[in-house]
Amino acid sequence: MKKILVIFAAFAALVSCRSLKDEWDPVFTTRYDEAYFIPVTDEYLQEHEGMESITSIADLKAMYNNKPLIITDNIWIKGQVISSDKSGNIYSEIYIQDRDGDAIDVKFGKGSLYNEYVLGQWLYIKCKDLTLGAYNGMPQLGMQADQTELNEYDTSYMNMQGTIDTHVFRGFIDEPVKPTVVTVDQIAESIQMGFKGKLWGKLVTLKGLTYGHTWGIPAIYSLLYPNPNLPHKSDNPENRIFLSVPQNQNQLKQGFDYTWGITSWGLTKADYIKYVQSGLWDSAEVDSGDKLQASFITRTPYEILMGTAYESRIDNFGMDAFSSYKDIMVKYASANYVSHYFTMAQSQDIQIRTSGYAKFASQQIPQAILDGAPVTVTGIASIYTGSTPPGVQISLIDEPSVSVVLE
Amino acid sequence: MIKRITLAFAALLASVALFAQEPTGGVKGTVVNRNGRQPVENARLVLMQGANEVASATSAQDGTFLIEELADGLYTLIITAPDFLESQVQVTVNDGYVKNMFNLSITSSQQVAEVDEDTFGAFDLDDSGYNDNPTILFGSNDVFNSIAGYNFSAVRFRGRGYSSESQDVYLAGVKLNDAITGYSPYSLWSGLNEAMRSKESVNGSEVSEFGFGGYNGLTNIFGTASDVRKGLRGSLLTNSTLYRMRIMASYATGMQDNGWAFAANVSARLGGNDWVKGVYYRSFAYYLAADKVLDRNNKLSFVFFATPGERGAQNSSTQEVYDLMHDNMYNSNWGYQGGKVRNTRVRKTHEPVAFVKWDFTPSDKFSSSATVLYRFGKNGYTALDWYDAQDPRPDYYRNLPSYYMGTIDGVYEPDMNRNNLYKYMTALNIWNYQGSNPNLVHVDWDRIYSINHMQSSGRSKYVQEERRTDQRDLNLAYTFKARPTYWLTLNGGLNARINRTEYYKVIADLLGGEYFIDVDNFAEREFASSQYKLQNDLEYYILNGEARKLGLGDKYGYDYYAHVRNYGAWLSGKFTAGAFSATLGGRIGYESFWREGLMRKGIFPGLAENGNKMVDPMSGETIEPTYEPDGTVTTSKGKSATARFLTYAGKLGLNYVIGGNMRLYANVGYFNDAPKFNQVFLSPRTRNSMVNGLTTVKTLSSDVNWQFSGNNINVRLTGFYTRIWDQSKVMSAYDDVQNAFSNFAITGINQRHVGMELGFKVPTYIVPNLSVQGVLSLGEYVYTSTPKMTQTIDNSSEIVMRDVAVPYWNKTQLSDGTITQKHYVPSTPQTAASLGLSYNYNYWFIDADVEYFDRAYLDMNPLYRTDYAVAGLDSQITDEEVTYMTTQEKFAPAWLVNLSVGKSWYIQRKYQLGFSLNVKNILNNRDVKTGGYEQTRLVDNTTSKSRYYRFDSKYFYMAGTNYMLNIYFRF
Repeated sequence: MKKILVIFAAFAALVSCRSLKDEWDPVFTTRYDEAYFIPVTDEYLQEHEGMESITSIADLKAMYNNKPLIITDNIWIKGQVISSDKSGNIYSEIYIQDRDGDAIDVKFGKGSLYNEYVLGQWLYIKCKDLTLGAYNGMPQLGMQADQTELNEYDTSYMNMQGTIDTHVFRGFIDEPVKPTVVTVDQIAESIQMGFKGKLWGKLVTLKGLTYGHTWGIPAIYSLLYPNPNLPHKSDNPENRIFLSVPQNQNQLKQGFDYTWGITSWGLTKADYIKYVQSGLWDSAEVDSGDKLQASFITRTPYEILMGTAYESRIDNFGMDAFSSYKDIMVKYASANYVSHYFTMAQSQDIQIRTSGYAKFASQQIPQAILDGAPVTVTGIASIYTGSTPPGVQISLIDEPSVSVVLE
Repeated sequence: MIKRITLAFAALLASVALFAQEPTGGVKGTVVNRNGRQPVENARLVLMQGANEVASATSAQDGTFLIEELADGLYTLIITAPDFLESQVQVTVNDGYVKNMFNLSITSSQQVAEVDEDTFGAFDLDDSGYNDNPTILFGSNDVFNSIAGYNFSAVRFRGRGYSSESQDVYLAGVKLNDAITGYSPYSLWSGLNEAMRSKESVNGSEVSEFGFGGYNGLTNIFGTASDVRKGLRGSLLTNSTLYRMRIMASYATGMQDNGWAFAANVSARLGGNDWVKGVYYRSFAYYLAADKVLDRNNKLSFVFFATPGERGAQNSSTQEVYDLMHDNMYNSNWGYQGGKVRNTRVRKTHEPVAFVKWDFTPSDKFSSSATVLYRFGKNGYTALDWYDAQDPRPDYYRNLPSYYMGTIDGVYEPDMNRNNLYKYMTALNIWNYQGSNPNLVHVDWDRIYSINHMQSSGRSKYVQEERRTDQRDLNLAYTFKARPTYWLTLNGGLNARINRTEYYKVIADLLGGEYFIDVDNFAEREFASSQYKLQNDLEYYILNGEARKLGLGDKYGYDYYAHVRNYGAWLSGKFTAGAFSATLGGRIGYESFWREGLMRKGIFPGLAENGNKMVDPMSGETIEPTYEPDGTVTTSKGKSATARFLTYAGKLGLNYVIGGNMRLYANVGYFNDAPKFNQVFLSPRTRNSMVNGLTTVKTLSSDVNWQFSGNNINVRLTGFYTRIWDQSKVMSAYDDVQNAFSNFAITGINQRHVGMELGFKVPTYIVPNLSVQGVLSLGEYVYTSTPKMTQTIDNSSEIVMRDVAVPYWNKTQLSDGTITQKHYVPSTPQTAASLGLSYNYNYWFIDADVEYFDRAYLDMNPLYRTDYAVAGLDSQITDEEVTYMTTQEKFAPAWLVNLSVGKSWYIQRKYQLGFSLNVKNILNNRDVKTGGYEQTRLVDNTTSKSRYYRFDSKYFYMAGTNYMLNIYFRF
């Protein structure tokens, strides 16, 4: 009996030895020490990541020569976070601004970045192997562009956390950057400089803005894709609807509401459907009537495209070809951005652009603003060279109640 | 049951045949091993009358025994033998005759074939709709089940292709299949192997003494104190696939002179394993039972047991991920925290079961039992939850190289609009050089804690939730057996079940933060402007003007009861005429279930208690309800409509015994069963909406069998044919085209299962004690219908498609009508074979088997089988698209080799020490897929804008070479 118990005990001990590894207590649930959250410093990066010096954002932008630039040198930039995707108006990217006041858009490619990269925090960007490029004149720093047929960008998002962690290092959290108050002349100067304009990507405050286009009418700009799953680039006019003013002032229709009834900052999916069904957009034309005559959205793709140079595109719509564009828009409805025109110093159009996914998208613009009361606006400035003259857009970071203040 | 009937019948015949040949009363017979019918030497036979021992004997070398000089009366014969389960049989001695019991078969307790729920890892399946619940082939008295049950468990073999919920598992006469899902609840008693060892099984559509059953067999676990093997037993087990150590002890008194029997069983299963990181056990088990014989006719049993503990779960991944990790056993559920492995998905349970059983045996012609069983406690499953933060899953598809370079079968496909070689290479490097930062390929706990820490408000962005499924399950079962005349045996019973299962979740860990907020993360994306719509608990918001702040242990998200009521009655009669017998039976029942929401969600607010619309106190906005297709208000709170079903079934069994060793038998049954709760509600976490067009599931099942048992030869050959109609299924997934989380309800799924089973064990006649054994399961389990599918958006109950045909569900058919592939019932090999040698001598056993598995298929998702998904954006269906989108993946065939060896020693004739060592998959085959499913997602942003592509499927794999070593000690 004694021997048996000894054998039994020996086996138990043997098995226990293997078990007495971490597996006995594999769930570790204690709190982290404060020491875990240590920001990186210049010294740390020099010692551990091979950083030699810090290049100014202006110098980085100066390297751009109208085509995407893959950075092969050991270039580092450093800037403070000036944007937040918390409100949803900016998505997948972070704007950083250095001590010289220059800023750039860094394309992360992930959501909820504000959790990790907070306003005022210093970020170090290791630029080697990243690509410096432009989108409609706007400077961006990201990965090499996709080599797909549909690509229209110089750069692409970093996307993977591993890539982000290779290029972005979090420094200490400083006081948030104060917006720079800029004048209409400074805007004009930056437009003149195009890509290298100092304002693009920068946190700015514009004063004395009044609602409406410089043509003296309230107006918005929004490009809609009736079926966003189908091709919708510029050579697909059959799948593009502009809600805006005509290309020339002399084409303005007297008394027509060029806000298309939109009084919210952006278009949520629910708002989008509501507007389509309300009839307020019934006079909207597919491709604004440039290439497709009488292409009102109350008509079907078949009716509009038959007999035109785009007749073969009818097939793209499948069975939807026989449904009205209105019905197609409801069927494939999604949130959409809206740019509201404001006028600065009676001469400069400023578009306040709001994503349909912004948490404040469906907020109504206060009546006083719609009535023309001057406002002070704070947000990220960007240029849009896809139009003539180039457009200036402001993307709000905060709620409009904070970012658009009656003067 | 069959054994007892056979014995009783044999005894009856014997008493007649031996009339006038024996001058005094007595009992004689031969003790044989149930598996193989070999004689059992040195079996001890004790004859009891009430609590008194009357006589005893020991079986001879040929297994025979004789007890003489007995007075007339009713006796209990208790048979015990080393390595066998204790067995009892009632004996009536009449008119001074010696009753010949012929063969008294006893069941081997050899631990080589120990298959229980632990054998199957727990997988994390989210809401995929994929059912990975195993079926376990019980029955050491059946040559096919005893071999296949052990050898095929590694590939998650399902007998005859049937699903887990069709297998009836009873405890003390109570059907214990889960009231909500129908799955067999093995986890309730895993780790209590000694207490639950004694069981009876029937196959296919046979009627059991304990219940009417369905078409996939019935197993009744006795579970009472007197059914536990007498004596003190201890065992220590280690294995390499699940846990390091199981230590178990049991003690049972057997029935004592005072009419009491007591039994206890405790165990602990601890540690991790060699194959799947993050999978670990910290599970315990306890069992306490007492029996009291009140008098000759009445016995009461009291049992209480539970298996408290926790265990880490495994996740499935795509083949791309397994290849990147160079490991088909990669588990994406865990990550390092402070250098230790921490699993996000942990099953935490403590569900005690208590029952009282009353056995009433007024005569040898009538016996009955009644059981009241109650199950309660908690069943939790942890997972990460997050609000407005990034998806923390390491194998999220955007973290993989394939997201940057679209390929089909390894060939670049430009139309997938994924072409960024640089990012592809970057992703590849991240996975290939995982050692430099393991947090990128496992759950990054450091980042999670870091993000929570950075929230100055103390609000956690990530938490660990525990999804609770807490059952209150009351069961009553009454069964009886009567033999009014020698040619008729009646079995019947009544059963009732009242189940209330509460589904909810609690905050299990704030992960370094201080609180969490009870809002619907998914609703916020669409309804950000309406604060009330974001609320998981709208009533709290209305009262307090803000969402609830959650602390540790607080309920949140969803909270509802699933109510199930089930009442039934059954009766079967066995008619015997010489060697022929027939069993005819029927069952009728009523089943109802409904949902009762306990939390009012903002997206489905319904109306206030007074029937009026509510008002958002903060914005003054009227809270508009949503409506069902029939115009009724959709609501998350309160009682739903009640689904009611009349169920019924009938069975006929024919049995013909030829020459004592051979048996021909056949069964046919028709079943009309209610669907399960989880197949009825579209999205029970959010609302009361039910699947449209609910109906019962109909099954016609038949089998024909030939069995031979004698001369150490044991063979069973079975042919079966089963058709199942009108099954339904509910699943939820993100729809890339709609950009919304969706619910898919599929109705009208029909199946056909046809095939054969062969099991045999035959002596070699060349080497003494060496047998050849094998099984073959060959079947065709196919889908036969074109089901219908309804898709609704989870957040709005908006119907995307209603009752749309799923034409490619049962076949891949080209435009000219050519059928290029039938579609198969998945997740089990439809060809499974085993051939091996078995050696038994002087308490040694050695089993070696070679196995072959083929024709296993991947679980399909219905979306890929719709015209909509096949056609893509241009609505044009081509044969190439049909073939690509609808073909069902067939797994590669697999060969396996297993070896078992064991030996036991008797010491001083009092103690027994033994071991068994099982080594599975000796060839170390690591490429055997045991299951998996297709993701219900589409690549829709294509270059051509004319078609869709599939997301990669996810798989489970079998472990490579693994062992289980069990050392046991008994006295």
